[in-house]
Amino acid sequence: MSPERRRLHPAAIAVYALAALREAALPLVALFVLRGFDDPGALERGLLYAAAGTAIAAVLGFLRWRTTEWWVTEDAIHHRRGLVAIKETDVPLTRVQALDLEQGPVQRLFGVQSVHVQTGGGGARGEIVLEALDAREIAELQALLAGRQVEEAPVAGVRRRLGERELLLTALTAGQLGVILPVLAGAGQIVSQLLEDEGFAVLGLVPDSPLEIALVVAGLVVAAWLLSMAGTVVAFAGFTVTREASRLRVRRGLFARREATVPVGRVRAVVVVEGVLRRPLGLAALRIEVIGHAEEPAAARTLFPLLRRDEVRDFLVELLPEFDDALDGLEPLPARAAARYALWPVAGALAVAGAAFFTPVGPWALLLVPAAAAYGLARHRAAGWRLRDGRLAVRSLMVARRTVLAPARHRESHALVQTVLQRRASLADVEVAFGKQTAARVHHLEAATARTLFERLAT
Amino acid sequence: MTEEPTRRLAPRARLVWRMSQGLGWGVAVVAGLIAGAQLDGALAVLVRVLPVVGLVAGVTLVPELRWRRWRWDVRPEAIDIRHGTLTVRRTLVPMLRVQHVDTTRDIVEQSLDLATVVVHTAAGSHRIPLLTVADAAEVRDRIADLARTADEP
Repeated sequence: MSPERRRLHPAAIAVYALAALREAALPLVALFVLRGFDDPGALERGLLYAAAGTAIAAVLGFLRWRTTEWWVTEDAIHHRRGLVAIKETDVPLTRVQALDLEQGPVQRLFGVQSVHVQTGGGGARGEIVLEALDAREIAELQALLAGRQVEEAPVAGVRRRLGERELLLTALTAGQLGVILPVLAGAGQIVSQLLEDEGFAVLGLVPDSPLEIALVVAGLVVAAWLLSMAGTVVAFAGFTVTREASRLRVRRGLFARREATVPVGRVRAVVVVEGVLRRPLGLAALRIEVIGHAEEPAAARTLFPLLRRDEVRDFLVELLPEFDDALDGLEPLPARAAARYALWPVAGALAVAGAAFFTPVGPWALLLVPAAAAYGLARHRAAGWRLRDGRLAVRSLMVARRTVLAPARHRESHALVQTVLQRRASLADVEVAFGKQTAARVHHLEAATARTLFERLAT
Repeated sequence: MTEEPTRRLAPRARLVWRMSQGLGWGVAVVAGLIAGAQLDGALAVLVRVLPVVGLVAGVTLVPELRWRRWRWDVRPEAIDIRHGTLTVRRTLVPMLRVQHVDTTRDIVEQSLDLATVVVHTAAGSHRIPLLTVADAAEVRDRIADLARTADEP
């Protein structure tokens, strides 16, 4: 590759312009809404604003493209950008861990890809991001790096792809509370605002009977569910994971195709997540804890979005044998720990029931108590642990049932914890941290067992 | 069997805790007096008396117990921390996982010549608070040294 300075593919102008437009869009829309629709000239004015905004964005995009340069010398990739404040980044070729490719809708239109130059320190975005390179330039870059890196012989990679039926099943069973609840909360606010708006009352759109309210709530839940499904499809369409020698390559995404490279050496733990909707169907998702990737969204930490539970072992043997371990045959907790697991949920339920006693709900709130007890007992039943041949497996239940699988030597720290109440019952907790997002916790072990486990982990 | 950690925090740590406990409970005492004036019967007495009991215990008993229970050690293979009065937590951080180590001193620590050592790993940070400045510097340098050699094999 010659050392002369290059510009990106002109498609970058469109990418930059769109980014500029997106940043400006929200305030513009807000302005538009605030000015109101009732004004007769509103539509014309809005179109004018939009045209002006697009023109400005196009000019900005062009300027940004003109002022962005990249070039490759003997030993480094250089990137220089900025009109007023100039920013230069040099990444030594030896420090480049991977070139991640991403293809958004605009890039796909022009047949180019954006290249993230990844180094050890990075997060999701590369140290250098080249927004639009054509296939020839990417091939050149890859060839150049292949010569420099300590690259093992390219092993015929083992691949696993998420089929279309599996994708649909993933989307159907995703239904994450994390997605649905904020949407519902937001919708609730809008609804309450609408209720205050007299215009809607005149139109007779305000739900006034319990049936109508129930219908509105059901509609919102369905809408949230559909939204969560759409999000899942967008994130996981075409999910493919490939094992190549010492790294995993993960491709995914419907509109923006992402390709990420994960060095196996930086994987700390595998987490098998059996969600509420998936567990009855014998399905699970696989997550990985990767050092330096903690801030990324959950989708980026997914090793595979959906697997039959009994397939997990074969999957790991094929793609990540470093973490292969059985999901079952864990040591259960002592039977007398069951009461401890039930204690706090029941106490919480009693407090809520006590408070609710004075509301119209009245004594019905007491029904929460057996539900809370059942939840505590379910947590006790689900919990288990095993340390065999240096491999730790810890299962726990909050909402989803999670099993953390990891070699004990990957731990970042571990702790033995005992509260006053546990001391009297001679029980104790063991916590093993594998990363910012992953900690394996076993609550209420026999104190002697906990002590032994703590000691075994230390060696 | 790993031996239990033996080193303690600076004796002056008790003074810092005494001050922070005193401050917290002092606010509670004032709040209790205000709330007590609005109430009557047994509840009013309780609201007034409870924070005072807390204040006495917080200034006398709590710092002493906490200081006695706080133990730590730096060994070639791991950092060992055990602390807690009601909940006892013993943590081992493998030296191999230490990314970097800092000492920090907030205003109270500066005025009493104390310092806190913070050990960072990829999963989070661990603190050994309220050491004498000399101790903290020594521990920081020792951990930095050990962490460097632990990486090498």
